[in-house]
Amino acid sequence: MPEAAKAGAHAARPHAFFLETRGRGRRFALHHAAQGQAGRVPPRAAIVHAHAFGEEMNKSRRMAALQARAFARLGLDVLQVDLAGCGDSDLEWADIGWQDWVDDIAEAAAWLGSRVDAPLWLWGQRVGALVATAAAAQCGQLAGPLGLLFWQPVLQGRQAAQQFLRLKAAAAAIDDGGAKAAMAALRAQIDAGHCVEVAGYRLPPALLRGLEAATLEPPPAPPGPLLWLEVSPRDTPELLPASRPAVERWRQAGWQVQARAVGGPAFWQTTEIEDAPALVDASGHALAEALAERVVA
Amino acid sequence: MDTQRELLQILDEVLSLGGRGLGFTRDTALLGAIPELDSMAVVTLITTLEERLGITVDDDDIDGSTFATVGSLADFVGGKLGA
Repeated sequence: MPEAAKAGAHAARPHAFFLETRGRGRRFALHHAAQGQAGRVPPRAAIVHAHAFGEEMNKSRRMAALQARAFARLGLDVLQVDLAGCGDSDLEWADIGWQDWVDDIAEAAAWLGSRVDAPLWLWGQRVGALVATAAAAQCGQLAGPLGLLFWQPVLQGRQAAQQFLRLKAAAAAIDDGGAKAAMAALRAQIDAGHCVEVAGYRLPPALLRGLEAATLEPPPAPPGPLLWLEVSPRDTPELLPASRPAVERWRQAGWQVQARAVGGPAFWQTTEIEDAPALVDASGHALAEALAERVVA
Repeated sequence: MDTQRELLQILDEVLSLGGRGLGFTRDTALLGAIPELDSMAVVTLITTLEERLGITVDDDDIDGSTFATVGSLADFVGGKLGA
């Protein structure tokens, strides 16, 4: 059995390749094919992953990989894409706009959708949930309702942008400099249409402004299933207070929402790389359940 | 709500201190004394405080003296909660 398990593990290795975009260069992608006990199987769903932003993406790499492999073992295809300017994908940060990321996910979904005859899902983490939502509006008309899986979604792009710019203020505070002055200088640079350099990232105004304008509201697309999962360190995990009204708005827009929090560390921001196995389990269960309901319906 | 206890839990989690942070006292020095507390961790700490405690931190508040000790940070959070 150990030999068979080893063979299985080998077969489950993802296929790494470059996805050609429409005139915007190549994106590094990992395709995890659905695995049965004896190797590849026709997938029950096709999932495109939209990763988190900046340092949160780096800290989440391990969890995203664990989840993608877990999904593949559950008979689901997963496509992980490095968005423009990230990882091994083309374009420099200074040259990208928010719309590039939305197009990247929409084009990745089209690529996977054309190869797989199964319901299409977008899985977005943190800022990636905002990207996935915008992409759903763009590609939702093609193949009927899309499913959405959110991991600790950012509700307001404005807050994520502010957090990012605050790195500069925090660095100034640590160096005993003026945090307020540092933030004001950043804002002035952005308003003047210049790139700003924060924590080693050169952020162009086109990316920042798009991020700041993005909100996690139901997109103009046919409503489908939405799985909204959060991680909480509390003994009795519960959704963040701000999430509840947002979840309600998606419900009212016709989405079939399952929202819950599971126990675990905030792995996208902890100092050390940490695992949240309960989130991987909950994602697999919730998705399998949503797919089963679909079949019955 | 016990603000200091809540704060120590958040500190311990954000800085991955593995329980060490739960034993911190008001006098425990933070900024400059705990290597894990870099600019990234300061921002994460602020964000987590905002999300969990429902407070709003202004850019003006981000000051070295706020993060000097557990006591100074607890007072800052207490002031925000009371505001």
